[in-house]
Amino acid sequence: MGSGYALLAIGFTLIFGVLRRLNLSYGPSIMVGVFFGTFLFIQFQAGWYTVLVGTVLGAAIAGAYVERLCFWAIKKGAAVASMVSSFAVWMQLEEGVTIAFPDRTYEFPALGDFELIELAGLSVRQEHVIMLGIAAILVFALHQLLYRTRFGLAVRAVSEDPNAALFMGVNTGRVIFLAFILASAIGGIAGYFIMATEEVITPKFGLQATFKGLIAMMLGGMGSVPGAIAGGLLLGVVEKQAEWYAGAVWRDIAAFMLLFAFLIVRPGGLLAQHTAARDLAALRRV
Amino acid sequence: MLEIADIVTSYGKIEALKGVSLSVAPGEITCLLGPNGAGKTTTMMTVAGLLKPRRGSITFEDRNITGRDPGHIVRSGIALVPENRLVFPDMSVHDNLRTGAYSRSDNEIEDDIDRMFERFPRLDERQLQHAGTLSGGEQQMLAVARALMARPKLLLMDEPSLGLAPMIVEEIFRIIRDLNAEGTSIFLVEQNVHQALKVAHHFYLLEQGRVTFGGSPGDLEEDEVIQRAYLGSAETT
Repeated sequence: MGSGYALLAIGFTLIFGVLRRLNLSYGPSIMVGVFFGTFLFIQFQAGWYTVLVGTVLGAAIAGAYVERLCFWAIKKGAAVASMVSSFAVWMQLEEGVTIAFPDRTYEFPALGDFELIELAGLSVRQEHVIMLGIAAILVFALHQLLYRTRFGLAVRAVSEDPNAALFMGVNTGRVIFLAFILASAIGGIAGYFIMATEEVITPKFGLQATFKGLIAMMLGGMGSVPGAIAGGLLLGVVEKQAEWYAGAVWRDIAAFMLLFAFLIVRPGGLLAQHTAARDLAALRRV
Repeated sequence: MLEIADIVTSYGKIEALKGVSLSVAPGEITCLLGPNGAGKTTTMMTVAGLLKPRRGSITFEDRNITGRDPGHIVRSGIALVPENRLVFPDMSVHDNLRTGAYSRSDNEIEDDIDRMFERFPRLDERQLQHAGTLSGGEQQMLAVARALMARPKLLLMDEPSLGLAPMIVEEIFRIIRDLNAEGTSIFLVEQNVHQALKVAHHFYLLEQGRVTFGGSPGDLEEDEVIQRAYLGSAETT
């Protein structure tokens, strides 16, 4: 579960990193992708990989739409306008999906029938192990992309100083657009695996994905990829424990309590970096 | 080499440049001096393509580059050392240099990075350190090296001595002279009039968005240049 949150938080981190703005429509974009995946499943009895590709594709397209409308069209310095309009687009995406899928609750194909397996004395669901493995592979691939390629160099340059990146001849608008799509695609993968374990999907998933991704990112430390991973895993563990010991209603309460505890005790997050001050300044602008 | 003809650049309704014309000759160091707010940085930004002029034209090596995007301008051979250096603080020195070569697609980039480390040994010692941990002088050297990574024919330098200790300022100006001796043309914006006049072949005075003087360092008394560069001339104030 935590690895799904970690992926959500990484997507958030990428967007926040390049833009220093919050995209509240991140979760709803993923929700659109997941519904597209479900549509393929219901309509065409598509196999798991088709559903996965459909989910990722749907999320990426919805993400591109959000970027063009809320971030590209709204110029620099209008961070509040971007956040508010991303909230408006959230409503738009949620209503759109509700109209297209009027039954609200749909079945999402499970990854397969898995047994509980014993791992070091703990019984774990096999899907969760697969999810953790996929998350690890994705994180490794993302790291290679960011630190080994020209595109990655541009993404890092834009996230550190967009003006200086422009001076170097980086087409910042294009880099932001591509990073946005990449983040949404990663979110789509996270959404697929979270849904494949929950097996039920509603348009409210957008809200859940935005909140969980945001909380995990803030727990880990804004704008830090390792922080996003740590925050996501921590959030997953705490939620599961709360559910186990105190019942399902405590799951979200525990998540928010954890967030407030962190905001009071360690506002910079687990892996607070020296960039934290700058990020906080950016947040205040938001 | 670089011809700026009658450019007008504005921020909203405020005209920062009210018809600026000047030229940079190949192989020379050309300085732009003037008081704060005269439009020196705006001129640099307009040449570098970050601001679009409302009127006028900019020609580089007989090609019109007016209003082209920054990437195009870097590729045509103009690189900028920005005001306040603007190195990427959380990137290593090595990666900072790689960003300077972003506009290039040849395979000699790593060789050029090695050359930069030979030229700036203090950067060599700090290759893997984050740029934000360098001293002001080292950051300035990094900013210069990063701009050189684009293999520019013309280097734009916006106040490279700003906020640096006198000894480091001397070193920066020595680097400027060396680069020029190797054939790089330089267009320099400076507040340090004394140092600027020592290296410049030509200089211009910019006051309130207009060029009010253009000539060689011997043409005006240094005292007058200093007064006009810091305070503006009597008739405009």
